[in-house]
Amino acid sequence: MLKETTSHALNRFNSDPRHYQLLFLLLFLITGLFWLDWHLQPLQIPFTFLTAILTQWLAIRAFKIPLNSLKSAIITSFSLCLLFRSDSLHVIVLAAFLSIAFKFVFRIQNRHFINPANAGICCTILLTGDGWISPGQWGSGQIWLLLIGILGWIIVSKAARIGLAAGFLAGYIGGLFVRMILWQDWPLDALTHVFTSGSLLLFSFFMITDPASTPIRKEMRILWSILVGLLAFYLQAFHWVNGAPIWALFMLSPLIPIMNNGKEILHRLKGISLCTFLPLTNRFQKQP
Amino acid sequence: MKKNILVCLLLLVAAATNQTLAFCGFYVARAEAQLFNKTSQVILVRNGENTTVTMSSDFKGNVSEFAMVIPVPVVLKRNDIKVVDRRIFDLLDAYSGPRLVEYTDASPCQRDYYEEMAVVKTTKARSNREAAPTTEDSERDNYKVAVVARYTVGEYDIQILNALQSDGLARWLNDHGYKVPERAAEMLEPYIKGNMKFFVVKVNLEEQKSSGANLLRPIQITFTSQKFMLPIRLGMANGEGMQDMIIYTFTQRGRVEPVNYRSLRMPTDRNVPEFVKDNFGTFYTSLYKQNLRKEGNDNIFLEYAWDLSGQNQMKCDPCASEPPLYSEIREAGVDWLQTGGRNGYIGSLFFTRMHVSYDRSNFPQDLIFQETPDRTNFQCRYVLNHPAPYYEDCDAWKSYQEEKVIRRKKELLELAALTGWDVTRYSEYPYMFKGYEAPRPPDDRKGHVEPKQFDPQQPAIPEKKPAVPQPSRLPEDPVAQLNPAQSIFEIEQDDFLIENPVQNRGDNSIPWGWVGVVAITGLAVYTAGRTKS
Repeated sequence: MLKETTSHALNRFNSDPRHYQLLFLLLFLITGLFWLDWHLQPLQIPFTFLTAILTQWLAIRAFKIPLNSLKSAIITSFSLCLLFRSDSLHVIVLAAFLSIAFKFVFRIQNRHFINPANAGICCTILLTGDGWISPGQWGSGQIWLLLIGILGWIIVSKAARIGLAAGFLAGYIGGLFVRMILWQDWPLDALTHVFTSGSLLLFSFFMITDPASTPIRKEMRILWSILVGLLAFYLQAFHWVNGAPIWALFMLSPLIPIMNNGKEILHRLKGISLCTFLPLTNRFQKQP
Repeated sequence: MKKNILVCLLLLVAAATNQTLAFCGFYVARAEAQLFNKTSQVILVRNGENTTVTMSSDFKGNVSEFAMVIPVPVVLKRNDIKVVDRRIFDLLDAYSGPRLVEYTDASPCQRDYYEEMAVVKTTKARSNREAAPTTEDSERDNYKVAVVARYTVGEYDIQILNALQSDGLARWLNDHGYKVPERAAEMLEPYIKGNMKFFVVKVNLEEQKSSGANLLRPIQITFTSQKFMLPIRLGMANGEGMQDMIIYTFTQRGRVEPVNYRSLRMPTDRNVPEFVKDNFGTFYTSLYKQNLRKEGNDNIFLEYAWDLSGQNQMKCDPCASEPPLYSEIREAGVDWLQTGGRNGYIGSLFFTRMHVSYDRSNFPQDLIFQETPDRTNFQCRYVLNHPAPYYEDCDAWKSYQEEKVIRRKKELLELAALTGWDVTRYSEYPYMFKGYEAPRPPDDRKGHVEPKQFDPQQPAIPEKKPAVPQPSRLPEDPVAQLNPAQSIFEIEQDDFLIENPVQNRGDNSIPWGWVGVVAITGLAVYTAGRTKS
């Protein structure tokens, strides 16, 4: 009896990769609060969760979507608590609200194409100027490579999004490798220090890999994630943008619907002078 | 049980931080003398993309050979370089240092007893420096080094170099009489490739004599660049193990934090035993070391953060010393404030103090900072609770005594947790309300300097200390004979210096990174295998 119940519970838990994601994000938040001594605004966690769940629930009522989607809202809340910092409650509430609301505002073909927590954070910072991201809050250490790497791997392999994490890291770390090690002659541990940054690993395994807000086709996904990595590298190395991966993801989100609907867009453009390139692009568009 | 009303009696003892100062660049000697830099202090002022860096130096080693090299992002103009009064560092140190607050319990019999007094104590950073004679620089060619600018500012001769090759730069420096540490040459390369210029400073003896000052004053440089960073890595070239740096920042919006290292708050608002008062400097240094041990050596510690805006009436609470005045803030490089108002200036200003102990292995990258909109105030504050001053005969007294013993035991446990001291030595403390004499704290023997009264009217006068190693003071052991400077270093052990750097979390014997790589590869193979089947 007990065995049956346990296996049933395990099966149910196993049925949705989001369950794993929730569990791991909770683990990270606990690590941050109690081990890494983060100083969050004390009410950040309850207010983020309340706002996000309430917004999602309203959307569920309004758009008649399954109640199940509340899980996504909880995941978004976790991401916000892990990444976003602000002293003022209204900014925290705004970030949580925007994150969820964007999912229902920016939709193409009944799919949202932006990463909710990412867009929420970026827009709140741009709008109010009263929030920030702390890329240094995890520090750097090989322990993060182990912990976040393995837990992240479980998630991305369950959601079949390994290419995304790998593509992003290849673009970002590859760019830094060429610039820092090959060109500028930094010692290798300077790059290891970047690579083992907890924030970077968390971003590459838990944020960019969100299945809903990535291109549908596999090769497009990988191409897109490499582009995000390269843009993040460019912003970081040449413009000293802190938290560059988050901004790069935000900037390249609009590319997703274009990549998803490439064929259709090209179709519409046929009449225009671009049609000269079509034979080339059509071949690229062929379904495998 | 009757609750005691805590009566506020302030006694502030800013930490005996006991700093020796050094620039964040590296020193190059012009002879074979060994040079050391230990604790440096830096003021960073950031406004948009404008940065002003003020560096205070205490020069260790053979002081006739002072020189330094700092990478800077742009070619500085004459007006961008200034020499400022060292007092600004002393003021900021005294203002923002860790503090001890003293309370006296009210008599349990009389609830409205009230008394107040305030004493402010700080220690001054000691400094110790002399100037070096200048040299003529003549030939260049095939060094691939261009002297872009040459100025004399105050007692300094300054050259700004644009180099194309680290070898060339190292040779140029060596051929012009600087002794570049061997490892510095390879550390120069990333800065050259990163399009940084080099700010090379030596002392102009004539100017220095005619100015009459016997101290090297801090150099202040101002430039516009997206880079908000401190190049610490060059300083490690000749650094002896771990070096300490106190970073003060002034910004408009809010607290400054590091981007590529973890930033932590020091423990604060802790109740500590009364006898800490006499050894507060030792207490804080022990606490700092213990914290490093606990949290790892690759962190940066926040020691103070305060909103110093013109409209903010409470510039510190409690104040360890007077908050900086407009003229002092102006001298530090803050140029966006207007005079006027009740506090002498109008405008938004936030002050942050960070403390970092860095070495080559734990700090592979330079420090990069960001300005956050966080305006939360923070200070390192430790609290003493004296017992009620005189005995009164009442029922509450007995329970008060019992409660006090328990509280004192807790204070001892807190002390042990904070500093790692062996508190069994203080086992009588909980029971002796009067006349308790605490044994000396464990690391007093390392040359701790007792806190001294800080008088802002008096300019800081450095302690007279022999600048050149005195062989007679050396202990007779083989190491001392091999490397005299090493022993001097040990004798003049700074309280903050970590003589046995503790391995940090990510640096321990288990190669976590490799375990991770193996595990991830394993998982990848496993996943791939399962997908195929």
